[in-house]
Amino acid sequence: MKPTLALRLLACVGYLVLLSPAALVLLISFSAGDFLTFPPPGFSTRWYVALAGNSVLMSALGTSAILAAVVAVVALLVGGPAAYAIARLEFPGRGVLAALLTAPLLLPTLVLGLALLLVLQPLGLAATWPGLVLGHCLVAIPFAVRIMTTAFAGVPKELEAAAWTLGATPFQAALRITLPNAAPGAIAAGVLTFLVSFDETVISLFLVGPRLTTLPVEMFRYAEHTTDPLIAALAMTLIAFAALMVLLVERLMGFSNAMGRE
Amino acid sequence: MIGWLLALPALGVMGLAFLWPLAMLFRISLNRTTETGAMEVAVTGESYTRLLGDEFTWELIGNTLGLSGTSAAIAVAMALPVALMIRAASPRWRGLLALLAIAPLLVSGTARLVGWMAILGDQGMINVVLRWVGLTDAPIRMINNWTGVRVGLMESLMPYAVLVLLAGLGRLDSRLEEAAATLGANRFRTFIRVTLPLAAPALLAAWLLTLVLGISAFITPRLMGGGRVFVLATEIYNLALESVDWPAAAAMAMLLLGGLILLMLLRGCVGWLQGKRA
Amino acid sequence: MSRSSPHLRLEQLVRHYAGAAAPAVDRISLDLPRGALLALLGPSGCGKTTTLRMIAGLEKPESGRILVGGRDVTALPPHKRHMGVVFQSYALFPHMTSVGNVAFGLEMQGVARAERGPRALAALELVGLSGFAQRKPRQLSGGQQQRVALARALAIEPDLLLLDEPLSALDAKLREGVRDEIRALQQRLGTTAVFVTHDQTEALAMADLVAVMNAGKVEQLAAPEEIFERPATRFVATFVGRAARIQGRLEAGGVLRTEGGAALRTHSSLAAGPVEAFLRPHRVRLLAPGEAAPTGMANVLDATLARRVYTGEIVALEANTPAGVITAELHAGTDGLWRELQPGSPMRLAFRDTDLLVFPAP
Repeated sequence: MKPTLALRLLACVGYLVLLSPAALVLLISFSAGDFLTFPPPGFSTRWYVALAGNSVLMSALGTSAILAAVVAVVALLVGGPAAYAIARLEFPGRGVLAALLTAPLLLPTLVLGLALLLVLQPLGLAATWPGLVLGHCLVAIPFAVRIMTTAFAGVPKELEAAAWTLGATPFQAALRITLPNAAPGAIAAGVLTFLVSFDETVISLFLVGPRLTTLPVEMFRYAEHTTDPLIAALAMTLIAFAALMVLLVERLMGFSNAMGRE
Repeated sequence: MIGWLLALPALGVMGLAFLWPLAMLFRISLNRTTETGAMEVAVTGESYTRLLGDEFTWELIGNTLGLSGTSAAIAVAMALPVALMIRAASPRWRGLLALLAIAPLLVSGTARLVGWMAILGDQGMINVVLRWVGLTDAPIRMINNWTGVRVGLMESLMPYAVLVLLAGLGRLDSRLEEAAATLGANRFRTFIRVTLPLAAPALLAAWLLTLVLGISAFITPRLMGGGRVFVLATEIYNLALESVDWPAAAAMAMLLLGGLILLMLLRGCVGWLQGKRA
Repeated sequence: MSRSSPHLRLEQLVRHYAGAAAPAVDRISLDLPRGALLALLGPSGCGKTTTLRMIAGLEKPESGRILVGGRDVTALPPHKRHMGVVFQSYALFPHMTSVGNVAFGLEMQGVARAERGPRALAALELVGLSGFAQRKPRQLSGGQQQRVALARALAIEPDLLLLDEPLSALDAKLREGVRDEIRALQQRLGTTAVFVTHDQTEALAMADLVAVMNAGKVEQLAAPEEIFERPATRFVATFVGRAARIQGRLEAGGVLRTEGGAALRTHSSLAAGPVEAFLRPHRVRLLAPGEAAPTGMANVLDATLARRVYTGEIVALEANTPAGVITAELHAGTDGLWRELQPGSPMRLAFRDTDLLVFPAP
């Protein structure tokens, strides 16, 4: 049925709500003023310049980028085989395994972060690289497992069967036949876990320290105390980055597919 | 067997970063906080009795449920036309519309809240427009209070609501609506009498999911509330990192977890009942 | 190993699927000589594909044995069985070219790198695709994909070639040509092969031996002519080829008495009692008025024409007789008698006693 005018209008309001924050961030980030005022008193790129000169935020950016890259690689390497097992093999407890590996996504990150702090602090691992990687893996691995399970399941089983009959061992068949055909999904999983880690705020809040801190945490703290267009410039940079990544994933496999069902 | 073996590394990380910390969270909730604020190893329910005997805790629970319940309801109500629109769109537009609706999921929450500050703030878009039109003289306070938190939370829940509704509405047969239309029902009546009842299970599922997510939310109440909005999540953070009262923080986290698990079981029951009826 | 020992032997294979009461494959045993082509023919769900997958090692039998060349392979995983399989979906590797697909099998068989290319190209040439070596599967037509799959299976010089409904995904027009090509290739290479089909024409045209399967069991294992002309069971008689059904009682001396009062001579040695007989349309002859039945045609029935269906080469005459509705199929060109007949016309039909396939009534 063709949507009625009323439905169209209401949907437009919905999209307005969904998209206006990002639009405002874009506008304000080019403000020449000193506050988050609307409309901006003038336009300039001064806040982007200020952002580039902010050594705290820039060093946090470096930390976050390295952290996200490490987490994405670890999540793929650790989650890939598990996803393969869930998608391809039949064994007792498969459902339990799948549930266990996605369970952290169901719990509040606040509780997860607190629990990690309680364990890592006494070990002296809070505010360290291993502690942060572990904390981020907790949310990155479930994502990687879910997306890669979809990707592996999308490769016809017959392909592996065909490879076996040609003399390939199950390991060879998985590596040479299924993996290359699931590659777009694996890349999407890598990009998305990178983003998940790069944007992760709450768990990091519990695990960072004065000498090791991430960009989302610094951004959160900055926004708590100061409201000037610098934060908009930073937010815009992150949105642009995320949009670029989403576009990449959409190109590779279709975004909605990658997300699976919520 | 080989399946568990392949999953061993993932299980190892999960054990180390998930099961063990959760177990420790429970264990520490049973410790005692001494008069000086130091933690003493013990097995006692003192933290729980202290929290549950405190009126403030009940106020927090009320605040949390009130905030997330209303935000979730508004989010679902606003997501419904978006989901219906996506469903009705031609395949060419459907992908783009769906992408636009869930794209905010991948934009950092803090960034979106900065946008809301620019919209709702005293010098923000809405107040400026209202003053320009002449409807108000003084700015209406919409941030650093419950309004700001509610709006920010509602928007952050909308993409999830759209996803759940899309999944639920996908099964809804559009031929029924067309049949109602050919039977003479006008558009509005068709919507009220046919579409809405058919969509009810999906709406309930979407509300329950967004409710759970809303209860867990921390960044939005903290940033948009400006320290004036207190919910369970902000209090757990304060107890853990500002008061450094670990047993109390752990106990409150356990209460939150317990409540969420109850809700998720309820969600499971609803889903199961709907599945049985279908 | 003597020449007469079978190349493939299935012994009492059994396989259940979880949740199903009846077994998918129920004690199947059969022997296949070297170089022969066996067709597993049956309706969907009869267990033919499961049987093929068990031979390939893709499914495990619960009991029973599979022997190839006298060697028990029951416990071997598929990659150690050295069998070429052509899947219904072809299962070509989408990320490899045609020649890459074929070379992958050779590599897995341990063929030296330098040899793989030429051998893969030779296999593609065998199926007439040498010009398509560098194409990816999605750039090939269905028929070409099918031939790449065949080349890939044959290139490893398998002990056994297995084909799962190899023609079902092809256009009707292509099917006959590919069918004959596969058969010719299999005979030329002397490969022992098993293929699964639900299409009786395919089975009869290609196979040396046909195993007609139903409900997990082999109803009859025989050469195509035997299957068609001397079906062992009622199921085979009805599943392979068309036939009119005649109900009645068998009396002493092999006489079949129908309810309509006809007495038909049969060749049956069954005990007296209720029976069902089947009569194939092409066996029935139309007699000219006053013409005596040719020698050997012991049965003559008076009939009235009910319906005439002309399809060009063949004309089918559906007639009411004391034995029930019987259809006669005549060559429209050579046998002109039918042209004068209209619905309602009286006519006479004749057939041999051996043309009646008699089974106990179910």
